[in-house]
Amino acid sequence: MSRGTISIAGIGKEFGTTTVLDGVDLTIAGGSFVTLLGPSGCGKTTLLRLIAGFLEPSRGTIAIDGAPMGGVPPRRRPLGMVFQNLALFPHLDVFENVAYGMRIRGMAAAVISGRVSKFLALVGLAGFERRRIGQLSGGQKQRVALARSLALEPAILLLDEPLSALDLQLRRQLQVELKSIQRQLATTFVFVTHDQEEATMLSDTIVVMNGGRVQQVGTPGEIYRRPASPFVARFVGDINMLDGRISAVDSTAVAVSLGGTKISVPRSTLVGTPGIGAACQIACRPEAVRLGHAADGALSLDARISALHRLGPTVKAVLDTPLGPLTALSMADTPQGAELAEGKTVRLSVPSDSFTVFAST
Amino acid sequence: MRGATSAPQSLGWLLLPALLVLALFLGSVALLFFHAFWGKDGFSLVYFRQILDRADYHEVFLRTVSIASIVSIAAAVLAYPIAWLLWRLPRWRNLLLVIVLVPWLVSLVVRTYGWLVILGPKGFLNETLKWAGVIQSPLPLIFNDLGVVIGLTHVLMPFAVISTLSVLLQIDNRLEEASESLGAGGFETWRRVVLPLSLPGVFTGLSITFLTSMGAIVTPILLGGIRQKMAGTQIYQEVVYNFNMSKASAWAICLLLLSALGLALLRAAEAALVPKADR
Repeated sequence: MSRGTISIAGIGKEFGTTTVLDGVDLTIAGGSFVTLLGPSGCGKTTLLRLIAGFLEPSRGTIAIDGAPMGGVPPRRRPLGMVFQNLALFPHLDVFENVAYGMRIRGMAAAVISGRVSKFLALVGLAGFERRRIGQLSGGQKQRVALARSLALEPAILLLDEPLSALDLQLRRQLQVELKSIQRQLATTFVFVTHDQEEATMLSDTIVVMNGGRVQQVGTPGEIYRRPASPFVARFVGDINMLDGRISAVDSTAVAVSLGGTKISVPRSTLVGTPGIGAACQIACRPEAVRLGHAADGALSLDARISALHRLGPTVKAVLDTPLGPLTALSMADTPQGAELAEGKTVRLSVPSDSFTVFAST
Repeated sequence: MRGATSAPQSLGWLLLPALLVLALFLGSVALLFFHAFWGKDGFSLVYFRQILDRADYHEVFLRTVSIASIVSIAAAVLAYPIAWLLWRLPRWRNLLLVIVLVPWLVSLVVRTYGWLVILGPKGFLNETLKWAGVIQSPLPLIFNDLGVVIGLTHVLMPFAVISTLSVLLQIDNRLEEASESLGAGGFETWRRVVLPLSLPGVFTGLSITFLTSMGAIVTPILLGGIRQKMAGTQIYQEVVYNFNMSKASAWAICLLLLSALGLALLRAAEAALVPKADR
């Protein structure tokens, strides 16, 4: 078990009569970049504050590298934290902000100034030692907050939506830097966000949360390709969702009727326990919906293009189909992509293995 | 268009009361300077000489500045823990704030007589101490400078509490969490983060209490010694008993200059002590 492993078992948290977290079990591998992803109010920030020790759980235990953290105050936990509003000390300059934790530890002045230089260089702020916090831009403040929390070389760094206040371009740039810093230091990063693109871009592991529960844990690819619930499917990336009914199940295939159309998909695409005749939801990503190809998919029908959005290299088509509206995403510079136009009728097909079938439970 | 032009015209009348107050204020200040600098034969510094040449008056100035300094520092020191407690106990804040402000709900004279009952030679404190055998004869707690300091500190402390509290309430509580996550305990966090950030409020309190004690009249008259006068009581005496407006005006200008000097020193101390927290 590498340094910075977090074991969370049976965590529940209530505020008054409101349940914020309910039965959360999670192991965060040491040295990995883990994102807690979910809509606001899903309990992700509460979970982060429980790990930090600013809150105590109502039930369950949290251990860091095998040591139980119950009753251990934040200052005795081997972790650093970057706050949503950064919480830089406005009365101290950049150097003193980064040096703060080391001053508390009573480290020697020479060691402190060496480490401050090292971490300011790491975040690209060498030479900013004597700047006042008020003189820094949003991105620079962000870097100071990161350097300050890393200066004590914690095993774990907790980040509470630290990039949410920045504009998109700067956010993308800092995401790249954040990931490269995490790789260099091999510190466990636990990052809270509601932005699924950010989560996908940064993480080794994504923990999707909703309603105080963990919905799914997996790599960004797994979460995208094999969502464990309709909620995850909708929350991570665009998706088409159709209501259907399971008409037959055998060891290799599932037959689903969508309105009048029957399709057959591999058994491996099924999530949940199917009942014959039970309602289900069937999902496919827009890029799995092929336009203008020979009809070779499990689902194949004619549709009229009701709207067309050209987005740089891709083109997004909203289609009127007998099953309801579907979205398709194609590459713009293919012959098929170039021919698309609003009002046109096209043949669409979806390969059988790109569906996910959610049996209602 | 018509509305846009007529509205400011009609609203202009609302300025009238403010202008009236301003005119009265400027008028009285002008009168003050006229009285102070206008002798029988035109411009004169004779009234200032009457004050500045007398050694016993020097003592009055010294006492005024000393008492105001001691009161403002005592109020700041006593107010800080109270403000801190109010800040820390949001549930109790309103109730505690009412308790802090109670001295202001009682008239100045009644409140001052209350101190007579407690601190007087036959007052509650002396009687209790005598009964307990701690002292043989009553302690001189009142009708001297100590009495004035106690009375003024009591009245002025709420100013210091409120000015300190208002600054404490602006401190983002994430700063404390950040400090804690960097390994600091409660006291260390207070010393390194909360105290430096709350100093501007402490200095505002110091300025208010210092200036108010410099001009105190009723408290020194009721709780001070008969011969131990302050500048305010001196002015009161010149106006009410001696009808010497010129001398009273000269006193007032001296007091004003001393107060301004004190304020300038406070500002300098604040600039030296409080780091520029440019947020």
